[in-house]
Formats: sequence, structure tokens, C-alpha cells
Amino acid sequence: MPAIRAAAPRVLALVAVATCALIPVGTVLVGSVASRWYWPAVIPAEWTLRAWNYVVSGSGGIGGALLTSSGLALVVAALAVALAVPAARVLALHTFRGKRVVLFALLLPMLAPPLAAAMGLHAVFLKAGLADSFTGVVLVHLIPAVPYATLVLTGTFSGFDPDWEAQARTLGASPWSVWTRITLPAIAPGVALAGILAFVVSWSQYVLTLLVGGGRVLTLPLVLVAFQRGGDEAVAAALSIVFVAPVLLLFALTAPLFEDA
Amino acid sequence: MSSRRLIVVLSATIAAACGSAGPSEMFPAADLARMTWSDVTNRARGSTVRYAMWAGDEARNRFYQGPAADALRRDLEITLTIVPLADTSDLVSKLVAEKAAGLDRGSVDLVWINGANFRTAKQAGILWGPFVQALPNLQHFDPVAFRHDFGTSTDGLEAPYEQAQFVIAYDMARIATPPATFAELRSWIHDHPGRFTYPAIPDFTGSSFARHFLLHSGEAPPAAFAEHFDAALYARASRPVIQSLHAMKPYLWRKGETFPATLAELDRLFVNGEIDFSMNYSPTFASDKIARGEFPASVRTFVPDDGTISDYSFLAIPFNAPNPAGALAVINTFMSPSHAIMRAHAMGGLFPLRLEHLSEPDRDAVDALPRGPATLPLATLATRRIQDAYAEYVDRFERDWRTEVLQR
Repeated sequence: MPAIRAAAPRVLALVAVATCALIPVGTVLVGSVASRWYWPAVIPAEWTLRAWNYVVSGSGGIGGALLTSSGLALVVAALAVALAVPAARVLALHTFRGKRVVLFALLLPMLAPPLAAAMGLHAVFLKAGLADSFTGVVLVHLIPAVPYATLVLTGTFSGFDPDWEAQARTLGASPWSVWTRITLPAIAPGVALAGILAFVVSWSQYVLTLLVGGGRVLTLPLVLVAFQRGGDEAVAAALSIVFVAPVLLLFALTAPLFEDA
Repeated sequence: MSSRRLIVVLSATIAAACGSAGPSEMFPAADLARMTWSDVTNRARGSTVRYAMWAGDEARNRFYQGPAADALRRDLEITLTIVPLADTSDLVSKLVAEKAAGLDRGSVDLVWINGANFRTAKQAGILWGPFVQALPNLQHFDPVAFRHDFGTSTDGLEAPYEQAQFVIAYDMARIATPPATFAELRSWIHDHPGRFTYPAIPDFTGSSFARHFLLHSGEAPPAAFAEHFDAALYARASRPVIQSLHAMKPYLWRKGETFPATLAELDRLFVNGEIDFSMNYSPTFASDKIARGEFPASVRTFVPDDGTISDYSFLAIPFNAPNPAGALAVINTFMSPSHAIMRAHAMGGLFPLRLEHLSEPDRDAVDALPRGPATLPLATLATRRIQDAYAEYVDRFERDWRTEVLQR
């Protein structure tokens, strides 16, 4: 009996969270197959796969955009984590002069209005010959992605005791095995979370991709926004599902990592 | 996915994203005078043309990725690549930045443009040309129709492409007979409080709707507003119109305290039964939306007897287009009767070419074009058509609307 009583609030909370999460996604899912759906009807009068046909037909270039978005976000996530791990380690485990200034500089891209920053960056990238290229877009996505990754990993490293590494070294471990067997397992959940955040930051960029990619680097948000503004709600809804699905999948796949932690 | 496959996919993505447009030469528009049309097509053959267009319409995207691109590949071996835009002004801002940064070789060869975006582009000097007189298919267009774009003189910097005409949509299930004139529409609005609204300026269509009252003010025929700006005429005609638009406000949806910001919002209010009319610059929009299940089958369109604004959208070449010859060849193809007929089949719209210049079979093909249930016949649209006002009238009127109607 006590077990059940303890479980009830948890179940209730779970149901509440699930409802809050599922209602918007569910509405969008229904919207993507709805036809002749006018107020005050609660459910659509007709169902149609028109929007999904368009999404999978290839004539909207959606497959290519999905591939570009995934490739881009994976590269950005990998680079952001690679840059953030050493930075976060230093920020969490060491004190040095000007640490607050470094932290502030790191947070600056998260504080500045994206459009203003993007306009200035576009000019810089044009002059550097990096505009309209995949490399340019990767670099520009790193600007918002690295701060998030670093912040997450700073938290992880603040709970990390470097003495474990010293112990392993004393016992004769090579730097590589110290890294793979001591450090990485200890910070793995943080690395995964930082990677996911960097992935999501890159995945959802619109303005930066548009300006620096110049329409040459076609990502999913570029295609999606065109339909949202165009007022074709069914296609916009279907594309929204395509847009959130990989992120949900990523969270589902990495969930076990966080359970251990 | 194994890591090796992932690497293959990634490198393919990077290669695809970085790939260049292939060999193409840039040349100044002044060289066109010394070139024949076959010089242009010879240069264009086998090249890639990057076409930037507003891409928020499924039928439109399908058409340019499909039949339009196939025809170009077949006839000119040209590869057409679409650069989708959520808003054409995004590209205009980008070109302005590129010009400021001195980027001589850009990434876009061709852009679908008109109105305020063209005016900005022309003033900023970011267009390649003049080139329009070099196009053989220009003969298919009425010269009067493309001299001005939204009141800005085109000066050969953009070629006429699609034609639009303002239409109003209503639902037969709710309205038996739509108002016959703009004056009757105004009375209808006063008699049916809360059942009408229009998108707030600067929305393009909302601005046109309000401007119809200026053009039909009775102070001068609509054509008098088309050529140049006459301050006295404007003052005389606009004052009562602005006053009546202000007087209309309490009878609008939500008492005119708020306006929809976009056409998409207006359409949503219309299908959800909050208001009784929607409006659009595409005469086939209601039929298209019925076919897509966005509008009920009982929706129809009408054009008041006093006539609605009709104008063109255009094709232009950015100043730093890497492949101007390819762009010219594509523009000329897009202006051909065969393309226009194919386009009308694929995505509706008004047929923009001069019917009297068409060959017998082309004319039959135009006559045989399917007309959606909500679309008015070409002849009806043609007889109720007026030219848009000169740019300065538009600017002044939009400003006055904002200060005297919206903010008061």
C-alpha cells in the first residue's frame, strides 16, 4: 500500500507531462493529414496524405535538406564538444585572472539578438570568403553552439575529481587509457547532453543559415519557414513533424546515458 | 548506421553543399548590344542556373523542380537549381550586403521579384541589366503592362513573367450576392459589423485593398494615378478616402482594434467563419485552396465592377550573377507560350501572354485550360482591370493609413 501511495503522484506527474508534450505534437500531426478542417469542427471533415506525399516526393528538395541538416548538425555537435571539453575543464577546475571576463565573452552570443549578430557576421564571412559555403555555415553555427556545450560541460567538470586521473597515472595508465577509462566515462552524460544541445542549436538555426549559407546550404528550417509564411498549414505541419522527429529520436537514443547518471 | 556509412553520407553532403555551379562566364550587360540571341543561348547551353524564388507554395515548388526544370534540361541542357526563399526581401538584403562587401561573384543567377523588393533592388543598384529588349519572347507581352512595376519604372532591369489581379473571395453558403462595387462593399461592411477585415499595411494585399478606394475615389479616373505623382490630386482624393477608412474601423472584425498581419491569418479567419470575405492577388487562389481542402467547395471569387488592380511579377538578374547568359536563356524560356501553358496547367494563375500573338494551337491550348470552380473567366477579369498607382501615391497612402487609420 505505501508503495502505491508513493507511486500515485509520480504517475500523475508523468501523465501531466505527457499530456503537455503530446497535445501540441498531436495537433500538428492531425494538421498534417487534415482537410476541410474549419471551426467549429473538432475533427477534420476529411483526411488526406497530400502534404506527406509532397514531403516524400522529392520535388520539394526535402530529402536533401534533411541530409544537409543532419550532416551539418552532427559536424557542429562534434566540433562544439571538442572545443567545449578543454574549455569547460579549465573553467570548472581552475581559477585564474579574468575568468569572469572569459565567462561573459562565452555567454555573449547567447545574449546578443540573433538578427543583429547575424548581419554583422554575414559581412565578416563575406570578406573572409566563407559565405555561401558549408564550411562557413558550420563555423557560424559554432558561435551559438559552443557556449551551450561549454556551459553544460562546466557543470559536469565541477563534479569531476582530477585526483582519479592522478591515481590511474600512478598505477601506470597511459594518457590515452586515462582519457578513455577514467575521464570520458565520468563525463559521458555531460558530453552527450552537450552534443545534443549543440546538435539542436545547429538544427534549428534559420537566420544564420540563410545569410551565411545564402540559399546554397539548404537546411530543413529554410524549407519549413517558407511554408509557414506561405500559409500551407498541412505541408508546414508535416514538415514540422519531420523537423522534430530526429531530435526526439536523439533524446530517446541517449536517454539510457542519463539514467545511469 | 555504421560509422563508415555515416562518413560516406557526411562527405557526400559536404560535397553536395560545396559543389560549384559549373563553368559559366560573367559578362557586363552592355555586351548584349554586340551579341545575337544565339550567342546567348550558346553560352547558356550546358550551364547551371540558380533560381531564387519564394517557395511557400507546394504546386509552385513541384512545377519548378519538375516540368519546368525538365523542359530546360531537354531544350537547352540547362540545370535549374531552386534557391527557396521564405521572403524575397531576404535575398535583396543579402545582395545589398554583398555589394557593400565587394563580392563580385555571387551565388544566385535569377530571382522572381516585384513591387517594393524591385524598387529597393533598383535603388541599391544590385541588378544586372538592362537586358529585357534582348529577349525574343518579349513580343508576347503587352508593352504597357511591364513599363512600370508598382509604379517604379522597370528600365529593362526585369522581364515580365506572371500576371496577378486582385480578387475577393466569399462563401456562397453565407453570402448570396457579393457587393457589385467597392462603394457597395463599404456599405456592406457598415451593415454587417465585425464580419470584414483586411491585412494591415505593410502587407502587400492589404495595402492594395485599401488603395482601391483611392483609385475609385471619383476624383479622377484610376488611370490618372498611374503615370506620375500629382500632389494636388493626391491631397484632394486621399482625404475623404482616409476618413472613410477610419470611419469603417469600428465595423471591422474586433472593431478594427487589431488587423490580421498576413493573408494566411485572413484566410484562417475566413474559413473559420469569423469574417465573410478573403482577398488575394492570385485569381485562382480560391480554386487552388478548394482543391487542397483548405477552403469549402462553396467559396467563389468576385471582382467589383469598377475594376481591381492587376500587375505583373518579374524575373531579374542579380548584379553578381555568376551565369547571366544562363539566366537570360531561362528567362526567355519562361516567357514562352509553351512554358506559360505548362505553368497554367501545373499551378493555375492568370495567363499573362497576349492572346492575339499566339499560334492557333497555342490559343486552343489556352482556351482548353481547366478553370477552377471559384475562378472567374479570363474575359471577366480582363474587362474589370485597372493599373496600379504610381509608387509615390502608394507610399503616401500607406503612410497616411498608418498614421490616420491604424494609429487613431
